[in-house]
Amino acid sequence: MPGCALPNTPLAGALPGINACVHCGFCLQSCPTYLNLEDENDSPRGRIFLMRSLLEGTVKPDDASVQLHIDQCLGCRACEPVCPSGVPYGQLLEATRATLYEYRPTPFIARLILFVFAREWLLRPAMFFSRALAATPIPTLLSGIKGRLGFAMAMLASTGRSIERSNYKPVTRGERGTVATLRGCVMEGLFSTTNRATERVLTVNGYSIVGAPGQKCCGALHAHAGHLEDARALARRNIVAFERSGATFIAVNAAGCGAIMKEYGHLLKDDPEWHQRAVNLSARVRDVSELLAAAGPREGGPLPVKVTYDAPCHLIHAQRVNEAPLSVLTAIPGLELVPLHDFDQCCGSAGIYNLIEPDTSDAVLAPKLANIRDTRASWVATGNPGCLMQIGAGLIRAEISARAIHPVDLLDASYAAFGQ
Amino acid sequence: MVAERLAEIVGPAHVLSRQSELLVYNSDGLPGYRRQPRLAVFPGTRDEAIAVVRFLAAERLPFVPRGAGTGLSGGALADDIVVVGLHRLKKIISLDVENRRATVEPGVVNLRLNKHVAPHGLLYAPDPSSEAACTIGGNVAENAGGPHCLKYGVTLNHVLAMTVVLPSGEIVELGSKVGERDGYDLRGAFIGSEGCFGLALEITVKLTPKPQAVRTLLADFTSVDKAAHVTSAIIASGIVPAALEFMDGATIRVVEDSIYAAGYPRDAEAILLIELDGLEAGVVADQETVRRICLDGGARQVRVARDDAERMKLWQGRKKAFGAMGRLAPHLIVQDAVIPRTKLPEILATIHAVSEKYSVMVCNVFHAGDGNLHPNIAYSADDPAESERVHKAMVEIMQACIAAGGSITGEHGVGLDKLGYMESIFSETSLNAMCELRGVFDPERRSNPGKVVPVHACKEWHGIPGSAKSRGAREASPLEAEPSRPIAR
Repeated sequence: MPGCALPNTPLAGALPGINACVHCGFCLQSCPTYLNLEDENDSPRGRIFLMRSLLEGTVKPDDASVQLHIDQCLGCRACEPVCPSGVPYGQLLEATRATLYEYRPTPFIARLILFVFAREWLLRPAMFFSRALAATPIPTLLSGIKGRLGFAMAMLASTGRSIERSNYKPVTRGERGTVATLRGCVMEGLFSTTNRATERVLTVNGYSIVGAPGQKCCGALHAHAGHLEDARALARRNIVAFERSGATFIAVNAAGCGAIMKEYGHLLKDDPEWHQRAVNLSARVRDVSELLAAAGPREGGPLPVKVTYDAPCHLIHAQRVNEAPLSVLTAIPGLELVPLHDFDQCCGSAGIYNLIEPDTSDAVLAPKLANIRDTRASWVATGNPGCLMQIGAGLIRAEISARAIHPVDLLDASYAAFGQ
Repeated sequence: MVAERLAEIVGPAHVLSRQSELLVYNSDGLPGYRRQPRLAVFPGTRDEAIAVVRFLAAERLPFVPRGAGTGLSGGALADDIVVVGLHRLKKIISLDVENRRATVEPGVVNLRLNKHVAPHGLLYAPDPSSEAACTIGGNVAENAGGPHCLKYGVTLNHVLAMTVVLPSGEIVELGSKVGERDGYDLRGAFIGSEGCFGLALEITVKLTPKPQAVRTLLADFTSVDKAAHVTSAIIASGIVPAALEFMDGATIRVVEDSIYAAGYPRDAEAILLIELDGLEAGVVADQETVRRICLDGGARQVRVARDDAERMKLWQGRKKAFGAMGRLAPHLIVQDAVIPRTKLPEILATIHAVSEKYSVMVCNVFHAGDGNLHPNIAYSADDPAESERVHKAMVEIMQACIAAGGSITGEHGVGLDKLGYMESIFSETSLNAMCELRGVFDPERRSNPGKVVPVHACKEWHGIPGSAKSRGAREASPLEAEPSRPIAR
């Protein structure tokens, strides 16, 4: 393009991806914000057009409406698997947010969360406090009040509602290699049961678990918000920690974290010292369901429950992992899997989007809850903490009896039942 | 003031007046053309749409109806006037399975209608390649086609009736839900009027039972010429395929690089995608005939899709080919000429010669069965010399098609893009007759001004308030000096 208006910005570097868009519009109907807000400024094609216009100089980075429409993107990347020209939308969005970063303040709540997540000495007490609060009846009592506080309380309340299961001792020969797991911030903080279940089911399926001390937050939330340098700093620490573990695979049970870790190579593409190490690390990252599916997974004991599956966007769209979670669920004898209409549509969680853009988030969540209600399932399986809490909170507030659960917890309960 | 009045009708969230928010509405699926609108308004109900049109009529303001903005002729561009987006009118109002018809609002997406009726063994036949995004209202405006129109006909053959709001605000019923009516076919006149005759707010379409049997064949060739001759031979045999599509080597490779890779042979110079449908016995016989014609005509091999999944894959590759061209270069231009089928080999040879002459890369992907060509040229608009060569090549290709006895548009419409060719194929008398027909629906010529019929034939721009061309000669338009709406965060 002649005369780039924003030279030497992350957005300028993303020009080849922007140029791949031919404006065909095939992405429009895949976009939850376009379907809900009904304005092309809130569609992938429209946002890419705004990105191009920023570079052309026909709109300015301090333009409030441009910032609004870029902010309103969920980053679900449902537009990517339908794009014939292969526009790397997620990367364009991160580059745009990183470029706009200088021109407008990130909302306070977002800054606070990102600040805490990047610092373990703050994150640990924050998670400890959340966990302690979740263990009291307070979140449940406050989950019905209007607004974001009520929703946040419902999110916390939803974390304590996993499936009951007895203890069992997994045995393994470790024939499938060594695995280090990403503990994750929210996963270890609020879903530690799921993290322990992850280690057990991987063990049962022939993987031997090794530790990776020194690992940090994956950096996904920072990258999505355009705080690319923070994301890179976290990525480098993780690369060191997981390299040192020597594990064949890095298992991730949070789709959002898995997606960014598989893209560390891209994140560090301009860092000659780290790029190759990042690429090598990314190549070893697997969603936990991928590792389990590769092993079968082994059949467990009967678990007569009715389950529906909702695909996390960062699993189905960003990582293109479609079948593996289903094979985890179908490996459970007695489990009845019922299809969920629009299971591949975003639930509106989108990292911390549900706290920053509550109205759009609620609008996107509403049809999801209605579809879940229609299945009459007692469990909604989904493999990402954001989705677990968003759907879980929505179900509590809409007084739908179904509960959100990680697929790994169901498999773990099935193995526990086998031991009895 | 206009924006505020419109906001009272549709709600402030659905009126755009800031330049930066209107930018994305400055183009359609052919972004080589850009026209900045002055305002955009998105009614959410039929009543709101009527109120908007009546308000615009009272203020004598020109406007452009817009669907999903996937058109390929610049037809939905609004030059400094109002865009009326109908994409929010997306209700499927009724489905009458027994009588095989459905009534929909104009913003219903083509594929969504098909998904809605599929469980009842029915389909809506017109299937433009943009079916996953384009709207039925837009299909009506453009009289949209698609691969399966070879056998089933275009939008015109599948719309029974419409409730239309004329630009004056008057509501009229065109056509009949129950069958033929006496008198002139005004429904036929409206379909394909490219938004110049008003807005269809309710559209009753005919649904078609799914055929008992379907076979999709993929024939691949080592030369474009052989595939072109085989196309003519298939049609000459008397068989009417449901679809007969052509893709050349460059297109095949770009699709195979995409997420819609269909398993087309990368080393082929051309493929034909042939679909046969009907009763099982007939389809089996036709399949054998077509296979033989292909092989006799020099096909390397003829593959038949084994199941629905493979069939879908073959079709997705074809339908997303246009969108995949972004892999080649940042900008894309696509044409839409129609030629007599027998001239196919000759015109394809001409297109090849033209592409060599101007050293541009032409990708051919088109509806061979009805001679509807879509030469695509991917290029960089930032290179003025290349743009010039692309422009010249396209003009020469179009002239060759016209000289061969063809037409300038098969399904994309005239819009802005083909305005310049209208006088090459229509006499002044014909163009004047078109203007008079338009006068019946839109005497003030406020709906989508400046499209379809060239300006000097129709003198369209005269007397239209608020348009860029007429300003200066008259006092300031009511649209001017529009205050910007503050953005609420």
